[in-house]
Amino acid sequence: MSILQTIKDKVRSRSIHVSYVDLGSCNGCDIEVLACLAPRYDIEQYGIYVHNNPREADVLIVIGAYTPGWQEKLTPLWEKIPDPKAAIAVGNCPISGCCFNRRGAYIDPPVSKHIPVAAEVPGCPPRPTEILAAILSVRDAVFANWEGRQR
Amino acid sequence: MKHTVDVNIPLGPVHPCFKEPARVKCETKGERIIAAEVELGYMKKGIERIMKGRPWQEVMFLAERVCGICSVIHNMVFIEAIEQVSGIAVPPRAAYLRVVANELDRMQSHLLANFSYCYTIEHETLGMYLLDLREKVMDVIERLTGARVTCAYIIPGGVRFDIGAQDEAFLRESLARIEDDLTRYTGMFESGPMIALRSRGIGILTKEAAMQAHAVGPTARASGISVDRRTEHPTYRQLGFEPVVRTECDNYARIMVRFGEVFQSIRLIRACLDNLPEGVIRGGGTCTAGETRYSGEAPRGELTYIIRTDDYGRVIDIQIQTPSIMNIEACCHVMIIGVDSVADVTSTFVSADPCIACTER
Repeated sequence: MSILQTIKDKVRSRSIHVSYVDLGSCNGCDIEVLACLAPRYDIEQYGIYVHNNPREADVLIVIGAYTPGWQEKLTPLWEKIPDPKAAIAVGNCPISGCCFNRRGAYIDPPVSKHIPVAAEVPGCPPRPTEILAAILSVRDAVFANWEGRQR
Repeated sequence: MKHTVDVNIPLGPVHPCFKEPARVKCETKGERIIAAEVELGYMKKGIERIMKGRPWQEVMFLAERVCGICSVIHNMVFIEAIEQVSGIAVPPRAAYLRVVANELDRMQSHLLANFSYCYTIEHETLGMYLLDLREKVMDVIERLTGARVTCAYIIPGGVRFDIGAQDEAFLRESLARIEDDLTRYTGMFESGPMIALRSRGIGILTKEAAMQAHAVGPTARASGISVDRRTEHPTYRQLGFEPVVRTECDNYARIMVRFGEVFQSIRLIRACLDNLPEGVIRGGGTCTAGETRYSGEAPRGELTYIIRTDDYGRVIDIQIQTPSIMNIEACCHVMIIGVDSVADVTSTFVSADPCIACTER
């Protein structure tokens, strides 16, 4: 691995920009992601910044069970994120649809049908520490030596 | 007059200031907003459709997941509607514990709403203080009910867990600390000159306009309308409840009403703990057939459940009316119109505390 790659890896591992998108959840996972910002969990000590702007994001946190309103919007949103990128499904809804996955509901889980998902955090809702651990685990798996693996 | 629009600015659905997907389309003339429209439909899951034909044991958990932020009040209103249908009496101790859980939930919801507003006006310091304070409230909720969000604490005929002597001491100690901190933060909000520039006199919703738009909750109370469903709730009546009302009608008033209600919630919880009756926390009863309309006061305003059940306690028909939709309409038709810059659109929208999840369900 070249020196340039080593520097890139080091910088990337300490600067992760996060965007989150709600595809129709109950809001419970939403506020647990927001709670990660609180000084108690202090997401910024790991170099993770929540900007909610897809064009400068590295990690997309996906919450919710994929409602029809997102059919033409989620894939363009995913394509706007520059490489290297990863999506994390937070909560039961993007994984299985949770309690909304019944006959008659307007949802289409899992989200991995529509965009590639790198990590899944089950729970209804998961604790902020679990969300934080998932972001940190994705950091090493997806961003390390990205250019080298592309070749 | 000819309708001229300079630029049509869409905000959202993914926007740095919005927690949830909503799209606000603003027609601007220069920097001034002359019309706005809110486009919803990103969160529609069809919860009411799923609920129909299911026993109350399942509907209870679905009702809680209408809104994750104010889950306790959805639980409480649905269960109290079921109790009203079936004529189930609640033990006095359980009724008081319900108020404790509900007020703790209101505290965390209001603190989150005020955090969002401070974050939107870029006063991140105060926002982070409030979010840290919210974590203390979440600790108490977890200690009392066993979960941070969607705790399913309230069940027909009572509550799930009793409060022990140790938990009560922890609750009282936490409340004292929260009250101290919140007094300081409220002072910061009241006296901050930059906050006043972004908040005072912006997003005016007059009393007449609020009545016309059927605004509810803190948005209505900040416009001088004294409306609160808690005044009609029997347990709150015993505690001597009075709504918090302000008359400034702007963003500042809406945030201050929420701060005032957090202090009021602390007082109500203390009154509950002081007068907590002895006895059981779960009575008996059978859920039977009937039809009713029941309202409660959610953190965002009046919440109504219209339910019809059959002999086995199954929900045949259910309609939910959530508070946010009225506030969103009031926001996009009155509050946003005429604000001086596009930057104030997001802060005004957030000050009404819109909850898209419970609006669309």
